[in-house]
Amino acid sequence: MPTTLLELREVGKTFADTVALAPTSLAVEEGSFVAIVGPSGCGKSTLFNVIAGLLAPDGGQVALRGSTITATTGHVGYMLQKDLLVPWRTVEDNITMAARLTRRVTDEDRAEARRVARQYGLGEFLRHYPRALSGGMRQRVAFMRTLVTHQELLLLDEPFGALDAQTRLEMQEWLLRVWKDTGRTVLFITHDVDESIFLSDRIVVMSPRPGRVVADLANPLSRPRGIHTLLEPDFIALKAKVLGLLHGGDG
Amino acid sequence: MRRRVLLNVGVPILSLLLVLGLWQLIVVGFHVASYVAPRPREAITSVTSQWSTLWPLILGTIRETIYGYVIGAALGFALGVVMAKVAVIQRLIYPVILVSQAVPVIALAPVLVIILGFGIVPKIVIVTWIVFFPVTVNVLDGLGHVDPDLKNLARVYGASRWRTFVHIEVPASTTPLFSGLKIGAIYAVTGAIIGELAASEGNSLALYQEHANSNLNTAAVYGTTMVMTLIGIAWFLLVVGLEVWSTPWQRRSVARRRWRRGADGPAE
Repeated sequence: MPTTLLELREVGKTFADTVALAPTSLAVEEGSFVAIVGPSGCGKSTLFNVIAGLLAPDGGQVALRGSTITATTGHVGYMLQKDLLVPWRTVEDNITMAARLTRRVTDEDRAEARRVARQYGLGEFLRHYPRALSGGMRQRVAFMRTLVTHQELLLLDEPFGALDAQTRLEMQEWLLRVWKDTGRTVLFITHDVDESIFLSDRIVVMSPRPGRVVADLANPLSRPRGIHTLLEPDFIALKAKVLGLLHGGDG
Repeated sequence: MRRRVLLNVGVPILSLLLVLGLWQLIVVGFHVASYVAPRPREAITSVTSQWSTLWPLILGTIRETIYGYVIGAALGFALGVVMAKVAVIQRLIYPVILVSQAVPVIALAPVLVIILGFGIVPKIVIVTWIVFFPVTVNVLDGLGHVDPDLKNLARVYGASRWRTFVHIEVPASTTPLFSGLKIGAIYAVTGAIIGELAASEGNSLALYQEHANSNLNTAAVYGTTMVMTLIGIAWFLLVVGLEVWSTPWQRRSVARRRWRRGADGPAE
């Protein structure tokens, strides 16, 4: 029996007269990979900021493993399209940033940063400054920084949105590998339908004006996934369904 | 690497030599009388021949500059931080700071002498007065332009305001901070000399120049000016050196190996 890690109960947010997010309920199972897909203005980033505790919702509750975390920070991992690496720290010191911001960085923190970096292909770059890295490598470092916070829930807001198509596919496969190794729960925002299907167990489709959830679809595709996944009939069928929901009509 | 050294050190030295050459050319070419403008060599000799007299005066000017600069930089930084963090204080202090800079420093000097006497203190106050302003303005600007997403990320991690300030906001503001410090460095010596001019009894570099002037020793007047300029440039270069040393990430791809307590094993 899978347990619920994150639960949203009637969470909504209005800015001035604009309903950014209509009251929304959502439950995310432990260890699952849930994609949230929708066009800009559908409230997906508002939803993330509410879960992260950066925004107080107008009403409703956010609960993590049963305890309320509404409008409080420090409970989730969080990563954006912008890598937000600090240029004055090396890769190793960027990975340990969360520790530095909350307490003293210990030798264990540093050892873990090195271990994670070596395991996932950045071992030779530990002493490099971010300026020396490519976009894909920077996003990997940003993800490792998120990973070593030891939060069970990772919120990823279009983390690969700024990468070229080839690098993005590599990063998606890389992310699936890390996710499988670490057993974390991932909530992944994207406006790329292919990406949402390729990565997830479940796809939450959102729509703008007002921002709301319009569908919650199970993803039947088997794992492990690779390039071949993109050509399976189930993939095409699911893509047609999601596109139909996003664009209306016959999709 | 050698090319860079040539470009960063060689070319500036060349440009200074060119200025000296031009000076020589004008003085000789237009037959300028030596009581109007000496040749560069005469100006330099006037300094080297009087070195034992000048050296203590130079040290005095340097001392005033250092004290005033350090106090001014610290005060400027503190004011910038407080103003960036507390909107009410910013509204309250900004007009006062602007007025302080609108007051001609030369006119201020006699007032400071009345209040503080003829010692080193009024000179330090003038240097501080000049130095703090560019530092404050740049720190205020720098702290105001830290990426809000970066500050949000720190919040998501559960960072305190203090740690966010120390580990995110201050390092993110180093470039504007050093802009302010460099502007302050180049004006600091000017402040010290104004102070010496208005508030010296006895010995100082500025008064030495005044005596040379009243003795029609033009070479020494020029020579002293060159010395004052050199102090300013040296101070500026020192601050630039501090910036280069403290911001390795702006030039290097890989960090230097550094000593660290309990460091365990190599990073590769």
